[in-house]
Amino acid sequence: MVKAMKEIAPLLLATGILLAFFGWYVPNFLTLENMLDLMQQVSVNAIMAFGITLTILIGGIDLSVGAVMALVGTATVYILSFGGSESQNFFLLVFALCVGLGVAALFGAFNGVCAAKTKMPPFIITLATMLIARGAAYCFNQARPIPVSDNQTFFLALGNGRLFGFLQVPVPVIVMLLLFALTALILHRTSFGQHCYAIGGNREAARFTGIPLARREISVYILCSLLTGVAGFIHTSQLYSAEPDSGNGFELNAIAAAVVGGTSFTGGIGTMYGTLIGAIVIGILDKGLNQAGVHFSIQRIVKGLVVLAAVYLDVRRRSRSS
Amino acid sequence: MLSSIPQQHTLLRLEGVTKRFGGVPALDSVDFNLREGEIHALLGENGAGKSTLIKILAGIYSLDCGCVLLHEKTIHIHGISDADRYGIRVIHQELSLAPNLSIAENIYLGREPHRWGWLNRKKMMEDADALAVRLELNEIRPVDRIVSELSVGRRQLVEIARALSCESKILILDEPTSSLSDVETEALFAALRNLRAQGVGIIYISHRLEEIIRLADRITVLRDGQAIGTQPVSQVDRRELVRWMVGRDIVDHFHRSEYDPGAVALEARDVRNKWVNGVSFEVRYGEILGLAGLVGAGRSELARALFGIDAIDEGEIRIDGTPVCINHPWDALGVGIALVPEDRRKDGLVMIQSLAFNLALPWTREWNPPFFPDRRKRESIIQKAIDNFQIKTADPEQCIDRLSGGNQQKALVGRWMEKRPKVLILDEPTRGVDVGAREEMFRLINQLVEDGMAIVMISSDLEEVLNCSHRIALYRDGRIIGTAPSDSLTPEEAMARLAGISA
Repeated sequence: MVKAMKEIAPLLLATGILLAFFGWYVPNFLTLENMLDLMQQVSVNAIMAFGITLTILIGGIDLSVGAVMALVGTATVYILSFGGSESQNFFLLVFALCVGLGVAALFGAFNGVCAAKTKMPPFIITLATMLIARGAAYCFNQARPIPVSDNQTFFLALGNGRLFGFLQVPVPVIVMLLLFALTALILHRTSFGQHCYAIGGNREAARFTGIPLARREISVYILCSLLTGVAGFIHTSQLYSAEPDSGNGFELNAIAAAVVGGTSFTGGIGTMYGTLIGAIVIGILDKGLNQAGVHFSIQRIVKGLVVLAAVYLDVRRRSRSS
Repeated sequence: MLSSIPQQHTLLRLEGVTKRFGGVPALDSVDFNLREGEIHALLGENGAGKSTLIKILAGIYSLDCGCVLLHEKTIHIHGISDADRYGIRVIHQELSLAPNLSIAENIYLGREPHRWGWLNRKKMMEDADALAVRLELNEIRPVDRIVSELSVGRRQLVEIARALSCESKILILDEPTSSLSDVETEALFAALRNLRAQGVGIIYISHRLEEIIRLADRITVLRDGQAIGTQPVSQVDRRELVRWMVGRDIVDHFHRSEYDPGAVALEARDVRNKWVNGVSFEVRYGEILGLAGLVGAGRSELARALFGIDAIDEGEIRIDGTPVCINHPWDALGVGIALVPEDRRKDGLVMIQSLAFNLALPWTREWNPPFFPDRRKRESIIQKAIDNFQIKTADPEQCIDRLSGGNQQKALVGRWMEKRPKVLILDEPTRGVDVGAREEMFRLINQLVEDGMAIVMISSDLEEVLNCSHRIALYRDGRIIGTAPSDSLTPEEAMARLAGISA
């Protein structure tokens, strides 16, 4: 734990500096309401980044998450729309959510099996499944958005609700924190997590230690897709409609969060704490620059430079310490 | 042949060359000379210093003492580019060609002919073709073929052509025939004889006695970093060569445990797969079975098959007399077989993690039930390994890459101590380990055997394996060619049988 804190200390410092800067430059930036809003915007990216972190950690990658997210959204809302405009049917809702997660798990399992059982690189596998998922999302409702009917109060609350009385904590933030706790526990407190670090650190050594490589790898990809599915529910709910075009480029944002948080692309290095803070750093940048009135073209450029700087510093720190 | 160049000038001379690694001499004042138009074979066991010598000439290592003279003038080789400049070219065991490029492109890689910045492909093809003609390497023509389509033997010839395309006078070949067929070997020999006739000096490294006697003009034997002697091949005495290679006056400094074998622990019956050619053997509790063989004999492949890394096509493995099915390493561990792999950096340890991580990794299920780790249990597993195998470390959470080779090796064996396996397979347990750690390792292995473990020890160091094991199985070309009590065999006899000659 002490070691983990030491690992993310520079990152926390950077977060503090960013917050201080925007707090000084943008009026009313550091209000509770604005911060909760920020966390709400971060949540979808963070949830996806938790999954992406696991795949990068074992030496893989999942590029399909953005497209899978759109597919999960459209599939779920498509089923919900069978309920018509009558009051919401809980059985239908649960069924729709299960189908959504099922679709996600299917893609995860496919990615995982391909990665574990064939010699195809995960980058290419998930690039292909990204296209497939996107194409499948376009199959619903002639590729037009499917609106979520107003009486789906529970589903809409998933993305837009607020809890805890006066604090008014957005529901997505609560979901994100729960999933953070879950994934952090899995990665840092189970044999499964140990095995992930071993596989990413030295695949052959993991094999010679008797770790079931294929099973672990498939599980990681399924987990990543399931997290993406939950992110898909939240995103769709926030948009009040399932848009087959949504989630474009989300995989890159999630990778950026993981990498800024110290996850190494060579595998075997990274933490969930890091990824959470990485996602928050990117969220602060997005929101801060936006509220400072910076043109979106410049926003992108600044974000690119920050990712580059973060990774450069991280790589340099690591090579110096070893 | 020799008379074709009557006045043989000395091309390269080494005087008193010494190289130490951490105080241990890998080369100990070695004298050596290479004449123009000569094939000079370097012979020796694994670890005798052959590769250190090559690496010094190639500029990969710098020497501690002594000097290298080219045409009787002292030269200093400080890097690979220096070696290049002096015309010394090494062809390593692993070929360094770009398989996706053509023969000609490979030959001129890095110094492609160009005109105004544009690649002059036509000139490159013509030059390469002319070179092949000049060197009489007809096998590599036409030169526009892609290297990946060539056989290993042809690729070797491409390497030779590349080495000699820039007026190199000294060619060093390291075990060039280890992966060649007989026909390819013949083609290589023909090419080398041709080059010899053109005045190139060739240093040829191999431990295949038979082929050296056919090819070389002179032979120098290295043992334990010292040049034992040089003989013209015409006057060679095979018995003496073998004795030079192996013979030592040192009495065994490894003490072997009492031979008190119990029941049969592991029995293999006609095990076969792509690399293993029908192997049958048994090893008993309280016994060390030595598996001796030269590099490339396929001993590691047998270990991989027994441990479930590679699938077994045919045959049967029995533990305590019961047939077992081993498809994955965890099956092997489940029935009580553990393996310490040969290459600890590649197959053994997670180098970016701590010593503790590596020691606890095989036992995650013990200390980490579904959720929430049992810190104390983890500590005790780690401490047990450290105590049992006397791993020297100030802090177990230290990155394992910072430990010495000997301690890393001890960690690799020691991590199986939590629940002792019935059969422990050790693949080259003393590779890259200094003398002190080596003896300690053997003491610890002996302790395990006295406690009743069955051990299969793979080694290419004949003296070591004969001294440490109770019984020895001679391994060659994927099969066991004979078993004997270790006392009944001299290193000379073993070497002769492994090299495929009767001394």
